[in-house]
Amino acid sequence: MMEEAIRISEEIENECVKEWKGAGGKVVGYACVATPVEIIDAAGLLPYRIRALGNPRTDIADAHLARFNCSFCRSCLQLGLDGTYDFLDGLIETNGCDHLRGMFENWMYTKPSPFFHYVKVPHLTTKDAMDYFEEEVGLFRQGIEKGFGAKISDDDLREAIERQEAIRERLRTIYDMRKGDAVAFTGAEALSLFLLASAVPPGKFLELADAAIDERQGNAVEGYRARLMLAGAASDELELIREIEDVGGLIVSDALCYGARAFWSPIDTEGDPIKALAQVYLGDLLCPRMYQDYPRRRDFVLDSVAGSSADGVIVMHNKFCDVHGVDNVQLRLDLEKRDIPVLQLEKEYGSKADIGRIRTRVQAFLERIGGRQ
Amino acid sequence: MTQALMTAKTGMFDRVAELFEVIDSLPEKMSDEEIAGLLNFLPPDAAKSLGAMLIPRVREGSVAFMRMLARWLEDAKTAREKGKKAILVPFCFPPELIHAFDNAFPVTSEVLSTLGVVALEGQGERYYDMALGLGLPDHICSSNSIEVGSMLGSNDFQPQAIVSAAVGSCDINSKTHEFVANYHGIPIFSLEKPVDNTERGVEQYYRNYRTLIASLEEFFEEELLEENVRRVVENHNTCTDLYMELWELHKAVPHPVPALFALYTYGCRFSMWGTEAGVDMMRTIVGVSKRRLAAGDHPGEKEVARCLLTYTSFYFDLAGMFNWMDDQGYAYMGDGLNMLFPQPVETTSMDTMLDGMAEEARNMPMTRQMGAPSMAMGWSDDVITAVRELNADCAIYPGHHACKQTWSAASILREELMKRTGVPLLILQADSWLKRTTPIGVLQGQIDEFVKNVVVPKRSGRTKVRRKNA
Repeated sequence: MMEEAIRISEEIENECVKEWKGAGGKVVGYACVATPVEIIDAAGLLPYRIRALGNPRTDIADAHLARFNCSFCRSCLQLGLDGTYDFLDGLIETNGCDHLRGMFENWMYTKPSPFFHYVKVPHLTTKDAMDYFEEEVGLFRQGIEKGFGAKISDDDLREAIERQEAIRERLRTIYDMRKGDAVAFTGAEALSLFLLASAVPPGKFLELADAAIDERQGNAVEGYRARLMLAGAASDELELIREIEDVGGLIVSDALCYGARAFWSPIDTEGDPIKALAQVYLGDLLCPRMYQDYPRRRDFVLDSVAGSSADGVIVMHNKFCDVHGVDNVQLRLDLEKRDIPVLQLEKEYGSKADIGRIRTRVQAFLERIGGRQ
Repeated sequence: MTQALMTAKTGMFDRVAELFEVIDSLPEKMSDEEIAGLLNFLPPDAAKSLGAMLIPRVREGSVAFMRMLARWLEDAKTAREKGKKAILVPFCFPPELIHAFDNAFPVTSEVLSTLGVVALEGQGERYYDMALGLGLPDHICSSNSIEVGSMLGSNDFQPQAIVSAAVGSCDINSKTHEFVANYHGIPIFSLEKPVDNTERGVEQYYRNYRTLIASLEEFFEEELLEENVRRVVENHNTCTDLYMELWELHKAVPHPVPALFALYTYGCRFSMWGTEAGVDMMRTIVGVSKRRLAAGDHPGEKEVARCLLTYTSFYFDLAGMFNWMDDQGYAYMGDGLNMLFPQPVETTSMDTMLDGMAEEARNMPMTRQMGAPSMAMGWSDDVITAVRELNADCAIYPGHHACKQTWSAASILREELMKRTGVPLLILQADSWLKRTTPIGVLQGQIDEFVKNVVVPKRSGRTKVRRKNA
């Protein structure tokens, strides 16, 4: 089952998407962790998180975005413009960061999607900001209803919240199974399962995830030198994680945008659904795009380090990513203050040329930590 | 000796403030010989900048600008001993709100960075390197990281709080100020611009502005008084009238306004706008420009092209950028930081004044364009308005490498400009504050080639420029 999950997660237009589309289903793409996917799900649409899977090509995108824009966004734009994402029936923008905004603006300017909606996410969690975002979630619901001719009742929304919460719960279980001495999943496997969760219908994911969880009960990954936590920028690069693990750094926890930060907070499944979504997608949002909220992000990392008995932390960001690039310095300083070994890594997304350098730095980091032989 | 070393001024603010004390003590009117003598005493980088600012056509305006800044720096430096709190603000925050408090004074990080680049030997690069030395990435923005690098890495002046007003319109500006606040344990107050220009978004911004005022009142232990607000608003309104006069003067052919006055205008907007010193400075540069118009004076021998810069300019070489443009006859119609389109504020009541000030804040450069629902369209609309009103022949995007939002919208700006106006856009790559990225000579060469090969032939009707969907 794990092999099947990995295989499906490594394709952008995977077999489940094709099957969904073949049955007349519609797929709506989003990129940012602050997108309330339950609204899409409640309308009977498939929410699909845009990814680049390490795609190094950016030649088409570079005619629109600049070399000073992050290569993850350029890579995603490339796939948007070269036809890879033609299966999407709609696009949801958020103001996640300046690069992401630019990616969506250029995508829509050059190759407009049949449906587009912009979810405006505040950068603060004041009462005014929370109220504003609640209205914004309501507007998103109306936008989806209008765009796809659907009617989303509160009950539909509650059911979608329960479905998505089940996905989150499975991901938390998978992550929990990496915390103890016996690590059931490698970091690359966990990332594969994470990617799967936002690229296939909920039922399919739950089936594959449950099977993987069963299969890995009592499993213990062996042959690593140190347990590492990975924190930082948007990255869905399976190859990168494999490279880090290949040199002996087993990833046992993370604070990544394509990772724990997307599912760690449980959603209230009982109360007002719009309020519940506003709380989880803004109030609980763990992202350096949020201001006056750094202590919560720092504590999440510190708790994860302690909870997963990590020997060290790699904080990474894609070149030109400002929000993570600066936040990572604060994180590094705070980890150093607590004598937690930390490696601050700047990288180009999807760049094969960068891999050798990264391997060397991780190897040196592992030597510094000492690790287990 | 040890004591002297310990108290040596190594921080950027302190060094700039000391230099401006000297500048402020110079006579009002100086002859060319006296200026030449003065420049001989200054270190080369400072002499180069001051030399650029004291050439005859801009001298009167420059002296007024430097006197205004000297006052600003002196007030910032002595704020604490006068019982005031010095508040670090970004350029996109209208300083008149802080000027309206008796217990506070605004210090603008980008203005300080620019002064460091212009006035100090080494052009402030050492402070930028201090920020990088902490591990901050080299894609942070030099506009504020030169100043905050000094705060992080030297025994420099420290503000008592920070207002972060780029939230929603610039990630790196907001992150850098947040970092400094966390690093030094300085309180930070955020003013978010929702990327939403509907009535709901505007109301939200007004609420955010009022919340900020309430937080500042609590921090300053001072209620914002109507008489103080009225004072700064009336000065704002006078500055606005003068700004609009200058805007009208920019429309004249040939163009009478020296390029450096664009910098002085927003230098005032970001520091002393809303004060009498700001009014005096604006009045001086408008007066000089009017006299030049009346005399038919154009900075160059003839007007070769009318150029609008679409974002920041290049500040590491005032002579090589601003004066060079003038000398070539490349009329400098202003740059993106001049696109703040101020409006008079209604003075009927405290509420109308505060709403008016909030509206001005919402329309500050960058906030207005990059905080729009679409960065590309918010920006394009303003650039196109300016191109049309000022009858510009061309636009130049002085691509500042750290400015990720404008970089991600530049290709759309180019398309929209061409589609809607037929005006071509030159895209440059450099750092606006650091000479190490692209030397001024290279930039001059690119502007020269663009004007001579694209703009002039088009202006003279020798080539037809492609118009999309025409």
